[in-house]
Amino acid sequence: MTHSLHRSGPIESQKKDFNWFMYQTQNVNDVNIKPKALEFIAAAEAVGSENWGDVKSGPRTQYKTEEIIDRITDKSRIRGVFTKREQVVEFLKIMKEKDTGLSVVITGVLSEVLPACEEAEVTPHSINYSLGVWGKKDNLPDDTTLSITTMCGHHMIPPKYVEYMMDQVKKGRLTADEAAIKLANFCYCGIYNHVRCSDIISKTVSEAAEKEVASTKE
Amino acid sequence: MTIINKELCNGCKICNKFCTVDAIHYLAEEKKCYIDQDRCTECYVCLRQKVCPRGAIQPIELDSFYKQFQHVISDPVESHGVTGVSGRGTEEVKTNDVSGRVIKGEVGVAIDMGRPGMGVFLRDAEKVAMAIAAVGAELAPQEHTPLAALMTDLKTGKLEEACHGYHLLSVIVEAKCKEEELKQVLEALQKVQYEIDTVFSLGLIIRTDEKGQTKVLETLDQLGIPQPHRGKVNVGLGRPLSLA
Repeated sequence: MTHSLHRSGPIESQKKDFNWFMYQTQNVNDVNIKPKALEFIAAAEAVGSENWGDVKSGPRTQYKTEEIIDRITDKSRIRGVFTKREQVVEFLKIMKEKDTGLSVVITGVLSEVLPACEEAEVTPHSINYSLGVWGKKDNLPDDTTLSITTMCGHHMIPPKYVEYMMDQVKKGRLTADEAAIKLANFCYCGIYNHVRCSDIISKTVSEAAEKEVASTKE
Repeated sequence: MTIINKELCNGCKICNKFCTVDAIHYLAEEKKCYIDQDRCTECYVCLRQKVCPRGAIQPIELDSFYKQFQHVISDPVESHGVTGVSGRGTEEVKTNDVSGRVIKGEVGVAIDMGRPGMGVFLRDAEKVAMAIAAVGAELAPQEHTPLAALMTDLKTGKLEEACHGYHLLSVIVEAKCKEEELKQVLEALQKVQYEIDTVFSLGLIIRTDEKGQTKVLETLDQLGIPQPHRGKVNVGLGRPLSLA
């Protein structure tokens, strides 16, 4: 699955959006995963991973750390979010030292991720490069909605629900942070960047309000 | 199959905004909601989020192999039976440092059909698989990727006809080719993108040098394809490390 690869939105916004992953390879290093998963979680928490989870249990935005840890099995896939390059560097340094033998993957804007690898003294082995969206794009949602929905690469977030959340924030019934958490909870993997989502909602709602004021003055 | 029980539905329409592919609609004459079964992908978001206060949204037994396939691939909580991988059941770059599936001199091609968020009928996945297979791309076998289980011929990418009408939230057409074949594979994708009724997101999996660079991407310039700014970087900490 390439569920973290094809995120969209302005590059500057994407530069505050990284995903980290722990992966076991089937029939090679896929047993006794829990102690290794705990190393990943400890490293991620030590550097302040904003969200993380296991697709079999759900995201940290919805469940307590202990609940997710209790349910870790050999099938678990632990992954999460960073919002700063410095976190990526520190996380990679720790994982290199821990040497769990599991694959470690970082997704993000390459001009941020590759220097982070260099600083952490890890050597990229392979890269899955995003070449964007092809085909019949006419029916896609608008760019702002896509920048929110594509943060759940399995597309568990319905575009109409994004519209509804925007409206709730506009009407003052929810804060942008509250709406972002509700959206993050659709993404069971824990790779949803609710911090970036909240920024996008705030910006969109305030721009819409400014436009409304401007049109009233006219 | 997921349905709305008409006896329980009161037509409040709350559920309409919870469908990932906009397959839940309101029927004004009956004052009830219903699920468009042709478009529903069995992703189970409406069920898992418990959106109906009256419990009218209900799962019904997935009574065929294709319905089960549709659900397993569309719902990331499920693991695929053969590959053992959750999500859409593929490994692509994430374990390449150990699996060595894509080696130096090769390019992995991961075509996320239906993504972002439009969904894909399997007939369109077939068109894309056949287009790249025709120019020499080697489609991944079913031990590596779920879609291959529906292929009658891995050499051509043809799918079983009975599956064509099933709508999935997304499915990956996975293949690889030699570096020197990448240009014709991309040209085939440039052409077939206008022959499908959906979108796809394209990823190229490449073994890189120690700086994360590769000359293969120069092929993109020849075809007018913008250079990528995002990537999923396998940092080479898996063991045993594949040096191939």
